[in-house]
Amino acid sequence: MDERAKLNVFTLAIKNISGNSFRSFIIFLCVMGMAGFFFATTLIIWGAEYSLNSGLERLGADIIVVPAGAETKVESALLMAKPTQMWMARDKLDKIGKIPGVAAASPQYYLSSLYGAPCCSVWEMFIVVFDPATDFTIRPWLESEGIGKLAKNEVIGGSAIVIPSGEKFIKLYGHNLSLKGNLKETGIGIDQTLFMSLETAEAMAETSLTQAMSPLQWNTCCIVLNSAGEVISQDVNPALISAVLVKVQSGADVRMVAQQIMLNDSEVTAITSPNLFGTFHKQLTGLLWGFLAILSMCWMLSAALIGLIFSMAANERRREISVLRAMGATRQFASFTLLMEAGLLAVTASLLGILLAAFGTYLFRDFLTATLKIPFLFPSPASFLSLLIGGILLTLLIVTLAALIPALRITGQEPAIAMRE
Amino acid sequence: MKGVALVTGIIIIVLAVSIAAIPQFTTCGSQGKMLTTSTGTVIPMKCTWTGQAELALSLPLFAVGVLLLISRRKESLRNLSFMGMILGALVILLPTNLIGVCAAPGMICISVMMPAMIFFGTLTILTSIVVLIISVWTKEPS
Repeated sequence: MDERAKLNVFTLAIKNISGNSFRSFIIFLCVMGMAGFFFATTLIIWGAEYSLNSGLERLGADIIVVPAGAETKVESALLMAKPTQMWMARDKLDKIGKIPGVAAASPQYYLSSLYGAPCCSVWEMFIVVFDPATDFTIRPWLESEGIGKLAKNEVIGGSAIVIPSGEKFIKLYGHNLSLKGNLKETGIGIDQTLFMSLETAEAMAETSLTQAMSPLQWNTCCIVLNSAGEVISQDVNPALISAVLVKVQSGADVRMVAQQIMLNDSEVTAITSPNLFGTFHKQLTGLLWGFLAILSMCWMLSAALIGLIFSMAANERRREISVLRAMGATRQFASFTLLMEAGLLAVTASLLGILLAAFGTYLFRDFLTATLKIPFLFPSPASFLSLLIGGILLTLLIVTLAALIPALRITGQEPAIAMRE
Repeated sequence: MKGVALVTGIIIIVLAVSIAAIPQFTTCGSQGKMLTTSTGTVIPMKCTWTGQAELALSLPLFAVGVLLLISRRKESLRNLSFMGMILGALVILLPTNLIGVCAAPGMICISVMMPAMIFFGTLTILTSIVVLIISVWTKEPS
């Protein structure tokens, strides 16, 4: 085939790119950096939202009732697995259960393992104790996983909970616990939380009296010591609870039920599921707007820079384009060659930038969550793909617009005048 | 081919410098954390050795980058690209398999050094693959 016959818009654009590799490399780097930055920031914010939603879904309750003033504590505990102490009288559970619109109410006890103690194989772990008789959050999961009911000394953990290497059990307060399964990853503190039944917690409390550096604090209210400080009796039936998870009846207004709970008892706060992590949601929204502002400015500057580079390139190639037009190429063909060059650079650079940003975000996710103090869960493949395509299209649009003005200006000139200039 | 070799040479040099420098600031030892044995002897944690090994690896990688800048022949570029791929793979393998990093989660060597080495090692391999492809596809200048 004749070599000239092969000359089309695509091959001409490729030849232009490789013909000036330094200029193309600078544009490539600029676009790659911007697309990568855009993708990474969006991914972090999406990941945080996705993580929060997964966590709320895992929580499975419409309302969580905690002692008044303990809202931040419960958010920190559930969001960052930060062990917390908050207690209220158990009789509040019965009062809540009788409120109209409440379908189910189940107590939870928030405990933590000891720090730096040889009796605990994991230090300062957040432990959630649930009552299997009334629980409606963990039990359905156990049934769906085929585990059924948790036997005494059996526990389930968040996705990050593992049995320490070389051991068969998780040892807490000198008590051996068998890990029966792990919950799906949520990206929030639930991943580092251990869930056990009331029966297991009571057995662990009993063991802690003789095997742990200090007994389980949960029922210290009920331990009776003699003058020598020795335990002489202990009430293992907890009179205190940390929180009550509430499921409302189908069709009932969740907010109304929450208000009713607080009207009924001024010593508690009822947090509706969408308002849980409310403080964090506000911070995240602030972060989102901040990122958007920075991104918009960066994109505008990049678009101006790319436009300038293309303008210089178009001026440099004034004679070449004039020759093309003199040989019979239409104005559209000449413009399209320049735009194709910009488009090819935009698509390849944004694809590489986005993939590198995704890879980097995945690798550094632990560092990012610890530094930014936000939960993070990699979005689903469908969301990831839509974000990837969106990023490429946005980059393509911005780069093409930046190259459009110089392309139209240079191809709009009369070939004879352009060649003489 | 000349332009590509120049650009990839610069990229490899930047990667080599990063691979040498980052572990020096992100090992547990660089944060003042050391292991004390039962006899009371203070010894560095194993991420420190990984950091030292990465520094040693960065030197031949730096040389590959410099040689890419001055090489013109296809065979030279092809051989350098293979060298780059092997060194890139070793950069990844040192913290993940060969020596490793500390075991406790949350340590800086796990959250920063290891991901950084995986990232830069991958970039080194990808850049070397680009050099290989260009060296195979491009015609030798007469």
